[in-house]
Amino acid sequence: GDSWGIFTFLCAALCNLPALPALNCTEELGAGQSIQQTYDLTRYLEHQLRTLAGTYLNYLGPPFNEPDFNPPRLARAERVPSATVDLDLWRGLTDNARLAANYRAYSRLLCYLRVLDGQVGTAELRHRLAHFCASLQGLVLSIGGVMSSLGYPLPAGPPAPSGAPPASNDFLKKMDDFWLLKELQTWLWRSAKDFNRLKKKVPPAVVTLRLEARGF
Amino acid sequence: DVHMQYERVGADVTMKCGSMDWDAAVTWTVNGTDIDESHLNGSYLILKNVSVMQSGQYFCYEGSSWHLKYQTYLSVGTPPKEPVLMCRSNNYPKGFYCSWHLPTPTYIPNFFNISVIHGTKEMVCEKDAVPKNRCHIRYLQLFSTVKYKVTLTVTNALGKNFTTLTFDEFAIVKPDPPESVVAKPVPNNPRRLEVSWQNPSSWPDPESFPLKFFLRYRPLILDQWQHVELSDGTSHTITDAYAGKEYIIQVAAKDNDIGTWSDWSVAVHATPWTEEPKHLTTEAQITETTSASTSSFMAPPTTKICDKGAVVGSGAVAVCWTAGLVMAAYSVLFI
Repeated sequence: GDSWGIFTFLCAALCNLPALPALNCTEELGAGQSIQQTYDLTRYLEHQLRTLAGTYLNYLGPPFNEPDFNPPRLARAERVPSATVDLDLWRGLTDNARLAANYRAYSRLLCYLRVLDGQVGTAELRHRLAHFCASLQGLVLSIGGVMSSLGYPLPAGPPAPSGAPPASNDFLKKMDDFWLLKELQTWLWRSAKDFNRLKKKVPPAVVTLRLEARGF
Repeated sequence: DVHMQYERVGADVTMKCGSMDWDAAVTWTVNGTDIDESHLNGSYLILKNVSVMQSGQYFCYEGSSWHLKYQTYLSVGTPPKEPVLMCRSNNYPKGFYCSWHLPTPTYIPNFFNISVIHGTKEMVCEKDAVPKNRCHIRYLQLFSTVKYKVTLTVTNALGKNFTTLTFDEFAIVKPDPPESVVAKPVPNNPRRLEVSWQNPSSWPDPESFPLKFFLRYRPLILDQWQHVELSDGTSHTITDAYAGKEYIIQVAAKDNDIGTWSDWSVAVHATPWTEEPKHLTTEAQITETTSASTSSFMAPPTTKICDKGAVVGSGAVAVCWTAGLVMAAYSVLFI
């Protein structure tokens, strides 16, 4: 379990660092296989999140850990990027837009999770969060890698999380955490579908042509 | 004037003959049959501990003139128990449907009202003509973090009841079983069966939302199933079938990432290819004579033994033939 995540993260990091002319790595992988790897990583993260969310919601205590808990969405929670999208709009997304939406979402979610990491009480929770953040970082790099290999520009970095006003009380803070985990879960479900669609539309042959065109 | 009344099973019912005095002489009938005087208290009809069987049209006639003084239709039933509600998305990402029923009959007409709330929005669940007690909803948005809350209320003349379901968009995804499952033997392969099927027709977009499949098979004579999970493709070749045995095969489907497995498809039967017993008569004679002398040690000749011998024999011959041809071809090349 642990080693798998770290391995993937290292691989994604090494193979996708823009500074390295890691052409051998990308050439061998091809965007098709990178998309497959990114898809696999989202499934792995989804699995990891289930355990993490269970532990975290128990730490927050009731009503957050109750299965029927279905609170209304408060306006302040909108700062966390939402995976929810109109069906036809989602279908019509270009490959670039689809990848960019994923990249932006996970970059921001990662920032918020890191803030969370600094605040939680128990050692077990800190360890799980740290592990999850590492895997999530791997996912962001993996998506970035796919975008680069397809010739798309990476979206601008996420805004600093301190831009949003902090929660005024303990309960509201917990609500923020609850929604953060929910959005993360929904994004991972959505990404599986996004990458399924990309898999079909980007066969490995296309990438070879692109690499040749860039003179590699 | 005509009346209608609903009463609970087990209740005591008193029917008054309209405006007639208590001590008036009357005759009550139910569905055309006179009711015995023992059930009367003056002109009142007393029905104790009513049952569903006592539902019907009741008439009250004045004693001598046989004028109809009162009529009522009595329906005996029960208030509704908590209804059973089920919601499922077999056509993701188009939407979902909900269907419901009562666990026990009430014997009187029931009215169902369904409400679907998504966050702050109330959505309309369109009732299906067929089957009854079913409605469907189209998703306006995909990948929602907010749960759907479905409340079903059932009302009848004797009471009401309700039930609620709360779920995430992803939790209720369950495709219909795969369709057109076909299993065929593979010629010249006594241990193979070729199985193929199609995506359920209700699944609208298998390209963007691919399905994965689960195949299970067993020979009819055994209880243990063998399972194969397939992440893509709509066909599979079984390579470890027992020769000559009839198999039962089923397939189930699931969205690649979310939801639950479908029910099993309709079962298909198939038997792997077996060789035509060409030399059966000669082989059988030989085996029979051998068994006559060593009957205590050898099993009685079965078609399997005969077939095995025939197949091995012809197989060996075939190999020799092919080898010979290859040799000949090579020698020609080197001339």
